[in-house]
Amino acid sequence: MNAPANGTVRLTIDGVEVTVPAGTTVLQAAERAGVVVPHYCYHPGIPSRPAQCRMCLVEVEGQPKLQPSCVLGALDGMEVRTQTEQAREARRSVIEFLLLHHPLDCPICDAAGQCMLQDYAYETGQLKSRFEEAKLVLGRDRIADDILYFADRCILCTRCVRFMRDVAQDDALIVAQRGHKAYIDTFPGRDLDNLFRGNIVDVCPVGALVHEDFLFKARAWDFDSAPGICGGCANGCNIDVDVKENQVVRVKPRHNGAVNGWWMCDEGRRDLVMWNRGRRIDLPLVRRDGELAPVHWGDALAHVAAALGNVRGGVALASAFVENESLYFLRRLLGRLEITGGGFRVARGEERALPGFPSLALRAERAPNGEGARMLGFTETDALPEAPADGALVVLGDRLEGAPADFGKRAGFFLYAGTHLSEAAGNADVILPVAGYPETDGTFVSHEGRVQRFRQALQPPGVARPAWLVLARLVELLGEDGAAVRDAPAAFAALAADHPAFAGLDWNGLGLKGAAAAAAATAE
Amino acid sequence: MGYPHSHDLEVGTILSRHFGDPEARRLETWTGLGGYEGLRKAVEMDPGEITAVVKDSGLRGRGGAGFPTGLKWSFMPQEPDGPQYLCCNADESEPGAFKDREILRWVPHLLIEGCLIAARAIRAEHVYIYVRGEYFPFTRILNDAVVEAYGNGYLGRNILGSGWDCDLTVHIGAGAYIAGEETGLMSSLVGGRAEPRVKPPFPAQSGVFGRPTTVNNVETLAAVPMILVNGADWYRQWGTEKSPGTKLWCCSGHLERPGNYELPLGVPLKDVIYDVCGGIPGGRKLKAVIPGGSSTAMLTADELDIPTTYEGLQEGGSSLGTASPIVMDDSTNIVRAMRRIADFYAHESCGQCVQCREGTYWAARILKRIERGEGRMSDLDTLYDLCEQLTGRTICVLADSVVFPLRSSLDKFRPEYEALIRR
Amino acid sequence: MSGGAEGPPGGGKKSPVKKIHPAVVPAQPFQLAERRPVERLFADEEGRERLASAVSRYPEKKAALLPMLAYAQERNGVVSDAAMEEIAEALELTPAYVRSVATFYTMYAKRPVGRHWIQVCTCISCHLHGADEVFEAFLERTGTRAGEVSEDGKWTVIEAECLGACGFATVVQANDRYFENVTPETVPEVLAELDQGETEA
Repeated sequence: MNAPANGTVRLTIDGVEVTVPAGTTVLQAAERAGVVVPHYCYHPGIPSRPAQCRMCLVEVEGQPKLQPSCVLGALDGMEVRTQTEQAREARRSVIEFLLLHHPLDCPICDAAGQCMLQDYAYETGQLKSRFEEAKLVLGRDRIADDILYFADRCILCTRCVRFMRDVAQDDALIVAQRGHKAYIDTFPGRDLDNLFRGNIVDVCPVGALVHEDFLFKARAWDFDSAPGICGGCANGCNIDVDVKENQVVRVKPRHNGAVNGWWMCDEGRRDLVMWNRGRRIDLPLVRRDGELAPVHWGDALAHVAAALGNVRGGVALASAFVENESLYFLRRLLGRLEITGGGFRVARGEERALPGFPSLALRAERAPNGEGARMLGFTETDALPEAPADGALVVLGDRLEGAPADFGKRAGFFLYAGTHLSEAAGNADVILPVAGYPETDGTFVSHEGRVQRFRQALQPPGVARPAWLVLARLVELLGEDGAAVRDAPAAFAALAADHPAFAGLDWNGLGLKGAAAAAAATAE
Repeated sequence: MGYPHSHDLEVGTILSRHFGDPEARRLETWTGLGGYEGLRKAVEMDPGEITAVVKDSGLRGRGGAGFPTGLKWSFMPQEPDGPQYLCCNADESEPGAFKDREILRWVPHLLIEGCLIAARAIRAEHVYIYVRGEYFPFTRILNDAVVEAYGNGYLGRNILGSGWDCDLTVHIGAGAYIAGEETGLMSSLVGGRAEPRVKPPFPAQSGVFGRPTTVNNVETLAAVPMILVNGADWYRQWGTEKSPGTKLWCCSGHLERPGNYELPLGVPLKDVIYDVCGGIPGGRKLKAVIPGGSSTAMLTADELDIPTTYEGLQEGGSSLGTASPIVMDDSTNIVRAMRRIADFYAHESCGQCVQCREGTYWAARILKRIERGEGRMSDLDTLYDLCEQLTGRTICVLADSVVFPLRSSLDKFRPEYEALIRR
Repeated sequence: MSGGAEGPPGGGKKSPVKKIHPAVVPAQPFQLAERRPVERLFADEEGRERLASAVSRYPEKKAALLPMLAYAQERNGVVSDAAMEEIAEALELTPAYVRSVATFYTMYAKRPVGRHWIQVCTCISCHLHGADEVFEAFLERTGTRAGEVSEDGKWTVIEAECLGACGFATVVQANDRYFENVTPETVPEVLAELDQGETEA
C-alpha cells in the first residue's frame, strides 16, 4: 500500500478504504467512505463537540473501549468498524434509554418521518421497551413567540443550546437542572427573540422544538419540496421550499457552505410563507373600450406586439424579485423599443449578520436579485418612472406600492407583467399574468455576485406563465425569429451567450450550489 | 493519628499526627511542628528535581484513580508560554470518604504547603483549592490559614525570600458530586456547570482558563511535604512496590470505632475492619464491605483477607478507590442499601451522556420496585444488562461507578434480591 | 426580619465593611444572624466589595459566578431570578447562562427556604445508621413536609446526598453547621440548639 499524500491519512471503515485530510474526524471520514454513523449531538455546523449522546460510538482496532467517532481524529492505518455486535448493541441501548420517557406520540408529532430517533429506532432499536416504571412527564413550554418545546420528546443532545451559544452567539437558551431532571429553557420571562432562532428547530433531531406556524399543519410525507433561493434579502440563502397543496408550509435552509452554511434567518422563513397573500393576476387582461377584459394568451401577446410595433422609446420598471432570465428578455424587449436603462426599486433595512457564520446576514438590500438586475443594466431607484405620452411604460414584477392612482395613464402604451393586481397596475393597457419566483425555474445573483438556481416550487395561478417565456415570445413576435425559448435552461443559455457577466456559466454546471458571475454589476 | 480514634497499627506521619489538635491550625504552632520544611527545601530545588523525588516515592493519586502523581506532574509543559494552574481537588463527595475534610480541618497549613510544592514542580503560578460547598466550617479554617500564610511570606510574592511567586485561592463548590471529577471540576471552577468533558485535550494541555492545569486530591498534596523532607525511600518504607506509603482510611457503616486512620498500605482489609475499627458492634456479623467508597465493588465477609493496596484490592475483585470502607452488618437489607447507592448516582449524574442520565435513574427505579416487593425475575436480567450498558461508554466514569457495587451485589447477594421478588 | 448584628441596612449609619483577603472565598454562613436581605446585591458597599474581591481572584470574570451565587444565597437565603439577572449583568453573562449554572448545583435555593435549612444526609453510610428515621423525625418535629417552609418561616428540611462525614452518621447540616451522630432521639436537641441561636441573635 502506498503511503497517503502529505497531509492526508488513509484508514478503513467497515472495510472501505478512505483517504482524508489529517485532522478529519472518524465520523466525517465515514461519511466520505459512504458509511453512515448514527449520531445526535454532533452537527457539522455547530463547532462544539461534546460527544455526549454516545450514539456515534465505533470500534477501533486495538482499543478496548468504543470510541466517539465525532471527536476521534482519523489516523493513518486506523481500522474502524461500525457494525460489530458491540457497536450495534451500544446504539440499541442508547435508543432504549432515549425512549424510556419518550411519549411515542409520533402520530401527532411534526418531526415524524424526518426524525432521527424514529429512524435509528427502526434501524437498531428493539420492538419493546423493558422500562416498566411510570414515564416522567415534563410537558411543553413556549420558548419563543413562534417556537414550542416538547420536553418529553427532547433527547438533550443540546444542539439547540449550542447553536445559540456557538453560532448565534446569544447565550439565551440553556440546559436547566441536571441529570434526568434536565430540560431546555430560557430565562423566565425572556423568550428567544434572536433573528436566527428558527435554526434551533432545524437542528433538533427529534420533534422537541417545533415551529408553531407549522404545528400540526403537515406530515413530512405530505408535502413536496423544491430547492429554492430565499427571497428575503440579497444574501442568496439556499433553501428548501416545502409545499402542500400548492401552499408553502415551511421553508428550511439548504446547506451551502459558501453562502449560508446550514442556516437562515427568520425573516427569510416568513418571506415565502407570506408570498401568496394578496390578489393574484391569473389571466391576461387587455383594455378594450376602456375596460380590462380577459383574453387568451395568444390574443394578448398579439395585441401587445401590435401595439408596441408603433412605439419607440419609453421607460421601464423592473424588479429585484424577478429572475435573471426574465430580466434578460425584458432587456431584449426594451432594446426592440429603443429603451435603454430602466429602474428597479428595493427596500432596505438594517444589516444583521449571524456572528458565528458571518457570510450569512440579513442583508440591507431586502430583495433576492438586485445584483442580477444591476448586471442586466437596470438601476436602483426610489422614484417611479414618469411615463412619456408617446412612449411605452413597461413594468415587470414591481407591485407598484405607493404609486399614484393615475400611474401610467399618460403613457403611450402601458404594459404590466406581474403577479399581483394593484390599483396602479389596473391602469395598464395590457396586464400579463406571470409566475413569481417560487413558481418558476430561474436564477438569482446574490449580493456577492454568486449566480444560483432555484426550482419551481408552486404552480402559478390560472394561466400565469414564467415571464421569460412570455417576454421571449414577445421579442420573437416583434421580429427576432428564434428568440423564443421553451424552458429555463434555454433562457439561461441565451442569457449566458449574450451577456459577458454570465459568460461561461451553464445551467447544469450551476447545479444547486451556484457559481460566481464573471463580473460584478459594479464593473459596468 | 486517627480521628476520632487511634490504633497501634497506624503510622502517625505529619499527615494525621495532629488530627484533633486545634492548635496545629495556627501557623506559629505549625512551623514549630516541622511545618513548611518541605517548602523551604522546594524553593531551593528545580521543578524537575521535585517531580523526580515524588516520582521516586511512588505516590499515587489519593482521589480514587491512583494515578502516579509524579508522572502526572511531568505531563505539564516545562517551558510555559503563559500561566499554568494547579487545582487542589477538595470537592470530597464520594460516599464513604471524609478524609480531606479532616486535613482541611486540622492541618490546613500542610495542605497549603503541599499545594505550593506541587505548584513549583509543575510551574504553576496560581493554585485553586476547590472545596466542596457544604464544608463551611472547614473552609473557614482553611481561609484563616491562607490569610496567615499570605501574611507571613509563605504565599504571594517572593515566597520565603526565594524570589518565587505563587498565589493561592480558595474556591467553593455548591453541591455537585461530579465537580469532583477532574474535568468537571475544571468546568465548575471557571464558572460553569460541572460537566465533565471528553479528553483530549488533557488538562495538562488545556485545563482551567484554557491553560495547562494539574488537578490533585487534597490527601495527595498533603503527602508531598513529608516526602520532600524525608525523601522517597523514607516514604517507601511503608506499603509495596506498586502501592508505597501511607493512606488515610475513612471507615464508616456498622463499625465499633468508625473514623479516619492513617495506615501503611498493605494492612489486610480484615484487620482494618476487625482490629483497627474494632469490628461490628452489637455482636452482629459482617455481611458486606464496600472497600473504597461507594463506587467500588462489594466484598463479602470471606473475601476480606486481602492486602489493602491498589493491586491487592484489584486482585480481590474490588478497588482501593478512596480507601473508604463502608461496612454493612447482617441486619442490612442489601437491596435497599444498593437502591440508596443507585439513588445517589442518579441524583449526581450531570445528564450529558444518555447512558448515565437514563441508566442510573432506571437502575434506581428498578431497585426501588424490587425493594417494595414488586420486582420480577426479569428485572435482575435487566439490571445485569444495565451494568453492561453503563460500563465504558460514557465521558466520565460516574456511570461505571454505579456498576461496581450493583453488579457485585447481584453476583454476591442474588438470594436477597430473589427473596424480595418472591415475597 | 431584622437587619442582624450590624444594625439595620440603610439605617443612615454606614456599617463598616469587613475587608476580605483576596485569596479566600468568604464561606460565611447563610444563617439567620448573618442574613440581611437586599433587593439589589451590588447596590451597597458590601456587595460591591464582595464582587470586586471575587472577580480579582480569577483571570476571567465568569469564574466569579459560583462565588457570587453563593453570596446571593448567603445574603438573601435564596437565589432569586432578580439576583441571577443582577449577577449576569455584573459578570457580563446572560441571565439564562447564570440560570443554567445555578440550577445545576443543589446548594442554591431557587425558592425560599426556612431560616434554618436542614439537610439530612441519607446517603449510604448515614442510611446504614438510620438516617431515614432521623429525616422523618425532623419532619415531624418541624411539622413540615420535605422541602416545605414551616409556617413560622423557621424550618425547611430536605434529604441530602453524602455530606462527607460518613464516620459520624447520621450527619445533619443546618445552614453552615454540621451536627454529627444525630439520632431520632437527639433531633429535638438539634432543633433546640438552632432555635436558641436564633433567640440570642
